[in-house]
Amino acid sequence: MFKMEEKRIGVYVCWCGTNISRMVDVEAVAEEIGRLPDVVIAKNYKYMCYDPGQDLIVRDIREHKLNRVVVSACSPRIHELTFRKALANAGLNPYMFEMANIREQVSWVHTDREEATRKAKALVAAAVTRVRFHEALDKRKVEINPATLIIGAGISGISAALEIADSGRKVFLVEKMKYPGGHTADIDLSFPYMVSARQLLEPKIRRLLNHPYIELFTESRIAEVYGYVGNFEAEVENNLGIKTKISFGNIIVATGLKPFNPSSVNLHGYGKLPDVYTSVEFEKMLVSGEIKTRDGRMPKNIAIIHCVGSRHNDYHEYCSRICCMLGLKYCNQIRSALPDANIYDIYADMRSFGKSCEELYTQTATRNIMFLNFDQRQGLPQITKACPDEHCEMLIEFKERLSNESIIVPADMIILLVAMEAREDAREVAHAVGVSMCGNDFYIEKHPKLDPVATTTDGVYIVGSCQGPKDITDSVAQARAAASRVLATIAAGTVEVEVTTAVVNEDVCCGCQTCIKVCPYKAISFNQEKKVSVVNEILCKGCGTCGSTCPTGAIKSRHFTDLQILSQITGLMEMELVTEL
Amino acid sequence: MSVRVDSAFKEQLKAFGKGDWNECFHCGNCSAICPLTENGFLFPRKGIRAIQMGLKDKLASYVDPWLCYYCGECTETCPRDANPGELMMTLRRYLTSVYDWTGLSGRLYRSFTAHLAVMIILFISVITAFLVFADFTIPLSDQGMVSINSFAPHGLISTLDHFLLGTLSFFLLTNMLNMFVQVIIKDKSVRVPFYMYFIEVWGAIFHFLTQARFSKCEKKRLYWFSHLFLMSSYVIMFVMIIFFLAWFQTDEVHPWWHPQRLLGYYVTAGLILGSTYFMIGRYRKNREMFRFSHHSDWIFLILLFLLALTGILIHIFRINHLPMAAYISYMFHLAVEVPMVVTFVAFSKWSHLAYRPLGLFFANLKKAAREKQYRIQLAPTT
Repeated sequence: MFKMEEKRIGVYVCWCGTNISRMVDVEAVAEEIGRLPDVVIAKNYKYMCYDPGQDLIVRDIREHKLNRVVVSACSPRIHELTFRKALANAGLNPYMFEMANIREQVSWVHTDREEATRKAKALVAAAVTRVRFHEALDKRKVEINPATLIIGAGISGISAALEIADSGRKVFLVEKMKYPGGHTADIDLSFPYMVSARQLLEPKIRRLLNHPYIELFTESRIAEVYGYVGNFEAEVENNLGIKTKISFGNIIVATGLKPFNPSSVNLHGYGKLPDVYTSVEFEKMLVSGEIKTRDGRMPKNIAIIHCVGSRHNDYHEYCSRICCMLGLKYCNQIRSALPDANIYDIYADMRSFGKSCEELYTQTATRNIMFLNFDQRQGLPQITKACPDEHCEMLIEFKERLSNESIIVPADMIILLVAMEAREDAREVAHAVGVSMCGNDFYIEKHPKLDPVATTTDGVYIVGSCQGPKDITDSVAQARAAASRVLATIAAGTVEVEVTTAVVNEDVCCGCQTCIKVCPYKAISFNQEKKVSVVNEILCKGCGTCGSTCPTGAIKSRHFTDLQILSQITGLMEMELVTEL
Repeated sequence: MSVRVDSAFKEQLKAFGKGDWNECFHCGNCSAICPLTENGFLFPRKGIRAIQMGLKDKLASYVDPWLCYYCGECTETCPRDANPGELMMTLRRYLTSVYDWTGLSGRLYRSFTAHLAVMIILFISVITAFLVFADFTIPLSDQGMVSINSFAPHGLISTLDHFLLGTLSFFLLTNMLNMFVQVIIKDKSVRVPFYMYFIEVWGAIFHFLTQARFSKCEKKRLYWFSHLFLMSSYVIMFVMIIFFLAWFQTDEVHPWWHPQRLLGYYVTAGLILGSTYFMIGRYRKNREMFRFSHHSDWIFLILLFLLALTGILIHIFRINHLPMAAYISYMFHLAVEVPMVVTFVAFSKWSHLAYRPLGLFFANLKKAAREKQYRIQLAPTT
């Protein structure tokens, strides 16, 4: 006969200082929960997450032979891992643990102490009922393929490629264009130190082309990526249609961005007036070595307009981040080239953040530049063709914010500092490698502060301006950060993958393939022979979508089984009944 | 109506004062710390903006510089070392040249050489006139007095004085009228009712006599006193020599307590002490307002000092019955005074004696008129 394991549950109610104890009678909760069946001990303590709190759990597990633990404290997003580790330290499987959130869901959102205490009891009781049915789960490990795929050979892709290849690991670098270098190759001087971008880039490209560990595919693209962290596969196709099959363990996406086309901003007259240039076009003019109007004259009045397509509800709401510094760089370059020209810098807000950037602004301000401020909410600067008696080619009219005057600025050449936006094929790449995008089609990082280069797909990293507009400095920093992340996983040799995944009971599966359609991670495939769905446990994130969609109940989500969830609901309801009676 | 910006303007302004004020990034600290600025007349930041953008018409109607007394707190507070206080001083010089329709003022301000040349020509003319027409050999009178009135008859000098007064008054008054047109007439945003001129004029007169606004600048009491002493001395001297020369310039030496002599001592002390105080300050740059000196400041102070010095010499030689020395001193006295009056009264620094009270007068007019307009706007329509 199958002997049921005796359940010995320990319950810990955290005060969280006064965060919880102010609104919840923690002693009453612990006392009442202590009376529930299988609960061996129920304690309350000031800070369960502190070392003494964790030690308390470890000691009790050993002394009272606990085999299940419930902590009622804050959100599991904050401390679930902390307590799981405590269980592991005491020799217990970390999944024999459940957390009840009585801070975010109770003490922080309620004002009636009695009601709050009642709700806390119900939530803890639910956790106790659930934890009875927890099963021990083991972490899985997979081998890592030491090769890396890098998509995009701009400054980010090149930096990451060299970093990884220098440690003797294979890199496949795939570039859509004919030559590596990306936008950096089109830049004359880089801000804020006015160093030639080509001087920065050229030695890197030279090294890249001769590197034994880098395989460069130019004029090529990646169709679809298969596999999972450590074991990806893909086909690289070049413009001649030649396909090369490659396999690799990690992916770094460095596809960059593209400049905004200002033709849609009617007021600026781009495309209609000959001497209105985008920053990209002007940069090319600087590289060519001569600042001249379309008809070959030297401009007397040069105006730079900021925020074209940025920070505006009709175009892009975000700040493109590099344009202000680009504008200051132009001011300096134009002043050096044309000492007598009148330079107008028409900005919405000057954002010269970071090292040496405010210094560049201060220094630029001494070079006889007229800085004029406009308020985007009160309309954008309007560019019109000037009459011959105005002695200039164009007129820019707008309300100047600092003087509160409506003014006219004469101009012979106008440079629009255009926004930086996601590439038109960003969605394709996102789909191929499995990264998510935000509303602006930039790729989303795993955590905006704490994990800025990883994505929610293990083994896929995003660097440079495909993640958001960035300057060279930040792009290179991200590239090297991602490279070190990749090298760390390669050095580890194996990688741990999530075990709270879905599993298919092949005897029950009817082969309807509904689960395959709903899976957001492409983790389920169909076994044609057996006519059943198969979950790739490494790709599966355990989101539970398939389990709840499956019409026959063939899919079980580990750690979120029907039994566990229903018993949690039962626990919640029972406690409600008990206290009401 | 949009106005066109002018980036060359900053360069034009450089001749009138320190620099181009590129450093300013409009934090507004200067206007915040200023003890004199008030709603409707927010300075100095707005002035800096108008200069940076080259809004000449706006500046021409800008009355705010005349309300500033250069205590220098703005400059001390400025995080960018943009010298907003010196900016107001520069604008006062610039505005003096704007009001002057002859264009002479601009020339004197823009060029030290031009100013010096005009002074030297006038100086030499006066000396020449004396050498040609005056008789330096007139002996002591029967009473044993130095015969200044035989050497330079007060009737003749007085006539010349009046001629000079008439000419300079014409220029100064037309310049003041020009200021009125620029500040009040051309400003379409506010219409000043006629009766207000009679109400507000008393405030301007009171200020002219006491310079009470000056004392609002904290920590500047000594400066205020020195300025008032110098100003009153000059005004008294001016009134004496223009209107009461016959009483003021006598051959008879009155006893020391006589009002004529007491006034003379007051004026001399005011000129000597005042000009010395300001010269030492400007030399040592020990206050914010002394840090930058335009050539017009120096010429003005040196002439004031020389004027008082030659006055003292005349007095000493007269008391000691030395006719020749007294006559020569008198000649130099006038040779200093004429160029000074001609160049400064209507065309340079001295004209601020007229523009300051006028500026305050206009500012108060605008303020009162605006308040009235505002009350009318608020009043319920019947």
